Amino acid sequence: MNKKPKIGIFGLTSCAGDQLAILNCEDELITIADAFDILDWEMAKTNNDKVTELDIAFVEGVVAQTRDLEALQAIRKRSKLLVAIGTCAVWGGVAAMKNQIPREILKKEVYGEEINVVDAVEALPVRSFVKTDILLPGCPIEKEQFLQIAASLLHGDLPELLNFSVCSECKMRENPCLVVEKGEVCCGALTVSGCNARCPSHNIPCGGCHGPIEEVHYDANYTMFEQRGITKEEIQNKMANFATPAWMGQKLISEIK
Amino acid sequence: MKILKLPKANFNKFLLGLNNYGEVHIPKKKSEETYVFAPMEDPSEVALEYLRTVIPPKKYFFKPKEALFKHSDGKNFIEHIEDVNKKLILFGLHPCDIHGLKILDIVFGTGYIDKYYFARRKNTLIIGLSCMPDEKCFCRSMGTDATEDGFDLFLSELKNSYLVTVGSSQGDDITNDMKDLLTEITRKDTNEYLKIRNERKKRFTLQLDISDLPYILELQRESEVWEDLGKKCLCCGSCSMVCPTCSCFNIYDKLSLDTKQTERVRQWDSCLFKDYAVVAGGHNFRANRADRVRNRYYHKQHGFVTQFGKPSCTGCGRCIQYCPTQIHVVEVFNKVRGED
Ligand code: SF4
Ligand code: SF4
Ligand code: SF4
Ligand code: SF4
Repeated sequence: MNKKPKIGIFGLTSCAGDQLAILNCEDELITIADAFDILDWEMAKTNNDKVTELDIAFVEGVVAQTRDLEALQAIRKRSKLLVAIGTCAVWGGVAAMKNQIPREILKKEVYGEEINVVDAVEALPVRSFVKTDILLPGCPIEKEQFLQIAASLLHGDLPELLNFSVCSECKMRENPCLVVEKGEVCCGALTVSGCNARCPSHNIPCGGCHGPIEEVHYDANYTMFEQRGITKEEIQNKMANFATPAWMGQKLISEIK
Repeated sequence: MKILKLPKANFNKFLLGLNNYGEVHIPKKKSEETYVFAPMEDPSEVALEYLRTVIPPKKYFFKPKEALFKHSDGKNFIEHIEDVNKKLILFGLHPCDIHGLKILDIVFGTGYIDKYYFARRKNTLIIGLSCMPDEKCFCRSMGTDATEDGFDLFLSELKNSYLVTVGSSQGDDITNDMKDLLTEITRKDTNEYLKIRNERKKRFTLQLDISDLPYILELQRESEVWEDLGKKCLCCGSCSMVCPTCSCFNIYDKLSLDTKQTERVRQWDSCLFKDYAVVAGGHNFRANRADRVRNRYYHKQHGFVTQFGKPSCTGCGRCIQYCPTQIHVVEVFNKVRGED
């Protein structure tokens, strides 16, 4: 790209953690602001341009309300490339953790019988609604991976993100395996790398916050823990948290009626 | 071949003395069942009881991740070999790991010579250490339970001393420099060595018959063993990472925001990963898990044997210890042989 790419950074329903991760690139922020023309970023600046066509849109969060969907469709329409950032945008993440419970029930539980003004729909990731060009999961995203993507896009290239498990990174760091040594439920084998096996390196099982690898072997993951005497429910409770919609899509978790 | 004796009373002095020849790395205990090779800060840290580290010594020569070359002006590449001038002493390699390095020497030295690997390999002294097998060791079946070469010094433990075998002129220099710590061996030492050696031989409980294994594998390509294994394997890649002879890598460019500084990075890869055999155009030659698992086993006991006359498995037991779902390499081959 010769001209500075025009970009926008957006948040749907989310904790804003991924946008914060970008703001936390303190040493690189000036270079980013220099290399890109940041037209629209509500969280970080005033005077945002809401109409000009964008070369790249970075979108965080899930669609959990009707207005998220409207916002997302508008972003998609004005952007050449859409990068889904964060596990919410890619897999549903924390916001979709309880998707098996219908919104009507949840609304009553949380807000009581009287209040019926909350516009809540089943929480689903960005890629369930619009075409995504690049997926960068992470809860929140890894600064290094974000910078790699930004650099590749500046070169006019599509980034290549490695697609192997946290276990491999865990072994490269020579950690004791928490499954082998302690019989704990660790999501390492089904979770995509990128965090450099952060949790097992601190003796905590991987919770799966980066979302699944390209081809999850659900059955084999169940078997691994069942043969150690752990129940299906417990396995699900520990492993499905960040990608509940995918587990439901596999019919491994069903809707509570 | 020269063999001397190092009394255990002199052992710490010997380890400290190694500091004169470079940075000494030793096996250290990391948790209940976990050992790693790491720099020696004090001789008391050496875990002489260890059997296998998580990652074998390959990590020193074939690094998990490293930049091969860089460029900073957007045009010319600058070659970059990490640790090229670092003198390293690796203390405590068991025979299987010495064989592991001998296998990697073949892999990285045949046809195209990998200068990154050899730049570090030639600056490293290897000091071997004897061992007593556990239930995961099957090096004896692989012919890697002892070694006559591939080390500068090799220490065989006796009750109150070590027999020190000199395997190279650099090893000889060390024994000359440290001659005050060493003594001559006696008949008694020889007898003690033989007794321990025979005891060790009896301790091997795990066996793998490899006599006609490549032939059987050729016949068993379509065996249901591979489908079953594909159903169990998570393709997590742990077994490849920890294997002393797995040596696949991926290469990619790491770009920077100023679009001028670039690094070409090499990183460990595994044939078990889904996208390992994807080629331009998107076709995946091993899209099924079962095909990928089979590939790893065939490479160790079929492909490598046909190409180099020996298997590329050292029987170290690491893949057995670190598979989170308890896939056991010897059981797999026994099933293929119809012997389970
Ligand atoms: S601790 Fe977890 S991430 Fe590490 S190897 Fe074991 S299962 Fe994989
Ligand atoms: S180890 Fe797992 S839970 Fe921890 S940061 Fe990495 S992906 Fe997230
Ligand atoms: S295949 Fe397993 S036993 Fe053989 S060398 Fe590799 S890790 Fe060791
Ligand atoms: S360690 Fe076990 S589960 Fe993981 S890839 Fe190897 S054989 Fe499969």
